[in-house]
Amino acid sequence: MVPERRQGSFAAGFRAMVPLWLGVVPFGLAYAVLARDAGLSLVETQSLSVLVFAGSAQVSAVGLFGTGAAAAEIVLTTFLLNVRHVLYGLALGRRIPLSGWRRPTAAYFLTDEAFGVVAAREERTFAFLLGAELSLFTTWNLSTLGGAIAGGAIPDPEKLGIDLIFPLAFLALLVPLVRARVDLIVALAAGGLAYVVSRELPGGLPILVAGVAGSLVGAALTHGRPADDPSLDDAAREVA
Amino acid sequence: MTFWLTVLGMVAVTFGSRFAGLALRTELPDFWVRFLHFVPIAVFAALVTPSVEGGFGEGEIRLAAAVAAGLVAWRTANLGLAIAVGMLAFWLLRIPF
Repeated sequence: MVPERRQGSFAAGFRAMVPLWLGVVPFGLAYAVLARDAGLSLVETQSLSVLVFAGSAQVSAVGLFGTGAAAAEIVLTTFLLNVRHVLYGLALGRRIPLSGWRRPTAAYFLTDEAFGVVAAREERTFAFLLGAELSLFTTWNLSTLGGAIAGGAIPDPEKLGIDLIFPLAFLALLVPLVRARVDLIVALAAGGLAYVVSRELPGGLPILVAGVAGSLVGAALTHGRPADDPSLDDAAREVA
Repeated sequence: MTFWLTVLGMVAVTFGSRFAGLALRTELPDFWVRFLHFVPIAVFAALVTPSVEGGFGEGEIRLAAAVAAGLVAWRTANLGLAIAVGMLAFWLLRIPF
């Protein structure tokens, strides 16, 4: 448990994402370089980061723009990569009470990473969520701008191995959540399934498929336990 | 013009996905409440396994780095420390001897 100290504030959320900046900045730079190579203008490159704000979908889209793909193909790919966010919204909506303008605002800036940090911690406020979300939005957009201006002088982050930060981060968020045997079963099932599916399907779909399947396994295995069993809920929160 | 129409479509499907889950505020049956409890565990695991290996034939040292990060996370539950130790292990292991 975390000591009671400015918990749940916007600043705490913003700071909680700082470890991930090291991974976000090189990818923002790389995305922008790819976009400019594909023939997008500075404004177009930046607009995707502001309006769509979804790293893997943006990289796929600029690749498709470069090959002259049809608009429908690009939009469909974006959908397939991003439909997993439905799952995040469902899980977050139960943890954090959101009303009025807060709901579309929280939705607009939602990412894997912000969901991860919020779902793994005890803070359940809109301010903390928005802080985490905008921490990533700011970093992603500033690094997009940097990459769009600096151009091809930037090395490929995958060759430096910086892409490893993302699986490391999600592993570090996962490990403290695994407290009961059923948690371990769910993690192994989802991880194994995602690995297999990722050999066949692009980026976002394995996460959706394995996320749904693993959660179904967990719900089925805990059959008969009351849904608001505190041991179920505390397990998800006790991380800091 | 086509570019901006495409972007509009991308925004629609992305925001739609992000908003759809948050917009559902009805009381759920117990089964689905328990389902949502397991979503972070299942999703985090699914975000880890496909990308640990990487595309440059460095699967073994990346896996070793992940084990190091996992151990730190298990002992400390500290996100930043786990990432730092994992990346340090990876960069050290990749130095050619």
